[in-house]
Amino acid sequence: MDLRAGDSWGLLACLCTVLWHLPAVPALNRTGDPGPGPSIQKTYDLTRYLEHQLRSLAGTYLNYLGPPFNEPDFNPPRLGAETLPRATVNLDVWRSLNDKLRLTQNYEAYSHLLCYLRGLNRQAATAELRRSLAHFCTSLQGLLGSIAGVMAALGYPLPQPLPGTEPTWAPGPAHSDFLQKMDDFWLLKELQTWLWRSAKDFNRLKKKMQPPAAAVTLHLEAHGF
Amino acid sequence: MALSSVSQTAFLLALLSLRTYQSEVLSEPLPSAPEFLKVSVNSTCQCLHLQWTVHNLSHHQEFRMVFQIEISRIKTSNVIWVENYTTTVKWNQVLHWSWESKLPLECAKHFIRMRSAVDTAKTPGPRVWSSWSSWEEADVQNSLGQDPLFVFPKDKLVEEGSNVTICYVSKSHQNNISCYLEGVRMQGEQLDPNVSVFNLNHVAFIRETGTNIYCKPGQGDRIKGTVLFVSKVLKEPKDFSCETQDLTTLNCTWDPGSDTGLLKQLSQSYALFESFSGKKTLCKHKSWCLWQVAPESQDMYNFTLTAENYLRKRSVHLLFNLTHRVHPMAPFNVLFKNVSATNATMTWKVHSIGKYHTLLCQVELYGEGKVTQHNVSVKVDGAHLFSGLEPDMEYMAQVRCANGDHFWKWSEWTQQNFTTAEAAPSEAPDVWRNVKTVQGRCVVTLFWKPLSKLQAHGKILFYNIVVDYLDRTSVSELLSIPAPANGTELPLSQCSSQIRIMANNSVGTSPASVIVVSREPGNEEVEEERVKGTEDGFPLSWKPQPRHVTGYLVEWCEHPQDPPCDLQWKNLGPNVTSTVVSSDAFRPGVRYNFRIYGISTERVPYLLARKTGYSQELAPSDNPQVVMTNLTSHSFTLSWKNYSTESQPSFIQGYHIYLKSKAGWCHSGSEKAVLSDDAAVCCKYKIDNPEQKTFVVENLQPESFYEFLVTPYTSVGEGPHDAFAKVTTPDEYSPTLIRIILPMVFCILLIMITCYLKSQWMKEKCYPDIPDPYKSSVLSLIKSKENPHLTIMNIKDCVPDSIEVLNKQEGTRKSLTETESTKPTYLYLLPTEKRYSSPGPCICFENFTYNQAASDSASCGHVPAPPKAPPSQLGLLTSPENLLKALEKNYMNSLGEIPAGETSLNYVSQLASPMSGDKSNLPINPPEPALCSEYKMQMAIPLGLASPPSSGSSSLSSVTLLDEGEHYH
Repeated sequence: MDLRAGDSWGLLACLCTVLWHLPAVPALNRTGDPGPGPSIQKTYDLTRYLEHQLRSLAGTYLNYLGPPFNEPDFNPPRLGAETLPRATVNLDVWRSLNDKLRLTQNYEAYSHLLCYLRGLNRQAATAELRRSLAHFCTSLQGLLGSIAGVMAALGYPLPQPLPGTEPTWAPGPAHSDFLQKMDDFWLLKELQTWLWRSAKDFNRLKKKMQPPAAAVTLHLEAHGF
Repeated sequence: MALSSVSQTAFLLALLSLRTYQSEVLSEPLPSAPEFLKVSVNSTCQCLHLQWTVHNLSHHQEFRMVFQIEISRIKTSNVIWVENYTTTVKWNQVLHWSWESKLPLECAKHFIRMRSAVDTAKTPGPRVWSSWSSWEEADVQNSLGQDPLFVFPKDKLVEEGSNVTICYVSKSHQNNISCYLEGVRMQGEQLDPNVSVFNLNHVAFIRETGTNIYCKPGQGDRIKGTVLFVSKVLKEPKDFSCETQDLTTLNCTWDPGSDTGLLKQLSQSYALFESFSGKKTLCKHKSWCLWQVAPESQDMYNFTLTAENYLRKRSVHLLFNLTHRVHPMAPFNVLFKNVSATNATMTWKVHSIGKYHTLLCQVELYGEGKVTQHNVSVKVDGAHLFSGLEPDMEYMAQVRCANGDHFWKWSEWTQQNFTTAEAAPSEAPDVWRNVKTVQGRCVVTLFWKPLSKLQAHGKILFYNIVVDYLDRTSVSELLSIPAPANGTELPLSQCSSQIRIMANNSVGTSPASVIVVSREPGNEEVEEERVKGTEDGFPLSWKPQPRHVTGYLVEWCEHPQDPPCDLQWKNLGPNVTSTVVSSDAFRPGVRYNFRIYGISTERVPYLLARKTGYSQELAPSDNPQVVMTNLTSHSFTLSWKNYSTESQPSFIQGYHIYLKSKAGWCHSGSEKAVLSDDAAVCCKYKIDNPEQKTFVVENLQPESFYEFLVTPYTSVGEGPHDAFAKVTTPDEYSPTLIRIILPMVFCILLIMITCYLKSQWMKEKCYPDIPDPYKSSVLSLIKSKENPHLTIMNIKDCVPDSIEVLNKQEGTRKSLTETESTKPTYLYLLPTEKRYSSPGPCICFENFTYNQAASDSASCGHVPAPPKAPPSQLGLLTSPENLLKALEKNYMNSLGEIPAGETSLNYVSQLASPMSGDKSNLPINPPEPALCSEYKMQMAIPLGLASPPSSGSSSLSSVTLLDEGEHYH
């Protein structure tokens, strides 16, 4: 700024201009779109809730499968569950993900996991277990919607499922019941890992989306002068 | 050797000839060895499936043949199964045979061969077998794949209680493979280096998702497993039954038993098959099924209910006639018509079961605490008349029906309530009275009991009371008391009267109940008797009356302690002389009084007997409030006249008086007793008469402490042993002393009052005031007339040259003359005459003329010197400075208005001294400044005392004023 001394008319004009533009300053406009921050926070909260919910559901379901699947140190090889979206990723790779890719991976993973989970629900023999699984599926559907909302708020398109790649949970003829149980085990385990990862993903996004404290000043400068 | 060769040859020849014979007989060629077409393995059922054919059969030939099949495991020589399979064989026919292996077929190689023979079951003789086929090998292991470990069988489904063999096949030649059943390690046996088998006997159902069996090598995280699905055994359906409500639909029900559903297997399904019609239906439900009855008249039905699951099928049969299984629907539209006080007609409708069938209906009526039952035959509409009903009574009627031709089951009940109409009360009210005289007039209080529902026949609205005076001098009176009153008070104009009481409802009036009030009072002098209550009540009896009575009546109060006492009565027949009065209101510990009346033929009651008693006696809960009087050194009197024996929880038989004393011995008339409460020993006096309510405790010791307790005793015990009253007997002589001391005190007081009133006179007589020379009128006269310079000599103008200090001789009183022989210690305040002009201390002369006692107080407070203290010990005081200091310290500062340097000689009047006579307090309590100032200056000194001593201490110029043991300076 370069204001000459005695140029009071120019200063007054500047102030009037600033006042004129004040309603247009996004940081001061309370009635405007609050941005994706609250949506990310809600998605994060929903992730933590699902994580808690899954802990109870997995315990019930693994008991339903019987030992060794309900043993705490049971860690079988990930054989038949290759089609499940894998949550584990190299830390550097995870850090280098951009927001769009991060959200897309989450969305795709839960789309697949939800489909598998519904298949699990159809197989369940007891009504109580079916109720719990259906409740969890509803919650997971909500999480999926939340992620879609965040992506829409950020202007990212939703990933389109490739035709013919709709995941199914119908085992082939050679698929034994034991392997099926193994797959169920891995489905729950992978789901839990995804929820852990998503919590971190959304926490990272949340911090990233928080506006800096000096936003008002910056906007004033940008608009006023 | 030769012999054996010959015999073998003979045997072969014989066999050859036999075969030739057979060929000739059958005229058919012998079948050749079967030829295997295919040996396949079905892993799901662990089955070996064989397909083969038999050659050299002509087109028209059809043989009944036997195939002997041998199965070996691992190696051909290890034959594990031999079976003869008989079937009819045609030309070019492919034969099938299956064998289920106990061991999973993947676990070991199997070898199969067979041979055939014509079935000669119809013709005697041995079979002629073909040659064996070559061994066929069934080896699945080669097609297992590349995995290093396999577990078999895959996901097998068995029934509970089966024996199952599990095996693993390892291709990695690892020996440390462990297998687990539901997390528990299994012990198996090695079949070959790569295969181990595990036999599970009597497997049990664990869960719907199956039993998990898995193996894992010692190294690595590879895990292989299988799920063994164990199903519960399907049982036959129980209680299979079919019935119809409307002859159009059959409802068949059964008990399905336990569910055999698994993750691998659906629950058992049920199907209904009817053999006459040949129809079959699959049931949608597990425990019931509907069957539509054919429109054509089919009477007989033969049902087969089949339960089926993957492993088993069970069936039950039922044959019945349709009309014998009719279970009608409940009747409906139950109504009551023509309901009067004693009759009602019930009507109802039933669901038709065909015009050729009659229903049998059962009607039940509940009322008056009983049930009546009637059977009615019904086609469509049913009706039944109930008669003999009670008026104004609520009844409940219900009806159910069954097939009247062939009873099978009753329908459900259909209920309905109704109430009969009211009628006039049937009984007279039960009435009793209480007659009293108020201001010369008879007042009758009438009581009556409400009529029971069976007697009232409706709601009682009011009671009519008619009073007829017997002497006919007064007109009859009519009163109407509205219900629900149960009594009224009635002042009568004349005592002799007849009272009639009638209850009225909306329909009519009851019969009258008659009470006659007599002018003559009843026999109130009847002696009261005691009666003992029991759990059942009070048994009362009385003597039969010689004169004719119409009955007896017993009256009592149910709450005698709470007015109104709730008067009750009981009417008894004329031949009754005993009864038991019982009531739920009777409480233990409450005295109930019963009065028994006889009712004369003129309806006049007269008192026969009075009884009193307790349903259960209780020990007294309170002791009498005892008042103690006449306390002397040897006795006192106890009295409890306010104690009511009537209101106690049991009959009082007397009193016990307990007396505790330190002496511990009892006089005659009492006995020693030990109280159970505190094990204290005391004397017990006994009073047998409950009305004696005073007692004199005698033979007591003066000035002794006693505790006493008066408690009633009854047949069930005494009162509580608490709150002993305490008393101490007075001294034996104290009354005498009191008689002496009191007059003396009175006299002294009288003298003191007299002295006080006459004190002025006494003062004038005994110790008049000393005249003050300054105030003398003579002085003014002299001053004015003779010499104006004439004045009174002031003491301060006299210069003393010495002061003599004498030690006080305590405890002795000496005369003035005796003091001369003592050796006083002199304190020389002014050792030389030259120092006379120096200021001296305040010197006080006490005028002991007036009060010897006051002089003891040493009002001037000078420090008394020890009697024999050497001067050296007084060193501090010997010097004038020290002395002055001491004096200043003790006194001078407190002299107040008197100047310190002014030497003065004062007479001190002891009477004006406020100080006490305790000399020891002097150093501690210095004299008050006002002490000296309050004393009046004296100018007259008696000559005898003021004169200097004539001897002894004449060398000392000192003024010594001595009294016995006193020292003044």
